[in-house]
Amino acid sequence: MDEPALILLRARDPDALRSVVTEHGRRLYRAARGMGLSSTVAEDVVQDVFVTFLETLDRFEGRAQVGTWLFGILHHKALERRRSSARDDLNEPVDTVFEAQFDERGHWARRPLGPDRAFDARESAAAIAGCLDALTGQRRDVFHFRQVEELSAAEVSKITGLSVTHIGVVLHRARTALRACLEAKGWGRSR
Amino acid sequence: MMTCKDVSTLISTGHLEERSLGRRLAVRFHLAMCRHCRAFKRQLDLLARAARASVASSEPAADFEDRLTDRLSGTRTGSGEPRS
Repeated sequence: MDEPALILLRARDPDALRSVVTEHGRRLYRAARGMGLSSTVAEDVVQDVFVTFLETLDRFEGRAQVGTWLFGILHHKALERRRSSARDDLNEPVDTVFEAQFDERGHWARRPLGPDRAFDARESAAAIAGCLDALTGQRRDVFHFRQVEELSAAEVSKITGLSVTHIGVVLHRARTALRACLEAKGWGRSR
Repeated sequence: MMTCKDVSTLISTGHLEERSLGRRLAVRFHLAMCRHCRAFKRQLDLLARAARASVASSEPAADFEDRLTDRLSGTRTGSGEPRS
């Protein structure tokens, strides 16, 4: 974002505001919903994100992509709303779940089934909603940014402040937890 | 020799793209030979598609941008609170 645009935003120029809201508002709203916030809360949070964005324009100074900056604000506000810890414990039960799928030689002990015997995408979409709700805040956000927004690990690192390596660990735990949750619903069950 | 656990961990963490060409080729070779790891990868792909489909249905009201712009027009730096 260039300096003239920042000046217009500082002055709350309606056209400049509309432009930034039109470009990023719906994507932020969908991300807030994807992070587990209700429709009412999501709308409030998106407004809050833009208010914070306008208040911190001097710090922004065009250094980052506007979308990345806004997602960073959203991530912190979503964590606050859910009162989730930003930390993930180093040893989690979900790691044991993943380890238990392999034998001592690193081969599959519980073989995953292909999608032909798993749910189809539509069934999975319905089933996954409850499983996403069960994810802890950091896992849910990283899964959303990496898998739904399809952002790179480097971009998600800028948004969350986590290292690229840690983002991989969190994504892996999120995927393991989601697979376990969906398997409990009959998705991709090993035979 | 990479095991299924090595391959599935690299895929699941998303760290594969940061690995050397040799390591990435080794994973491709393993996937070509191992239907169980291919099934695992397809499961992860399906998870992402399902999550995207689940989020795609979340749309705000049609006047979302209008209301948001109106509220933001009423805010001033440092106030911290939007004015309706």
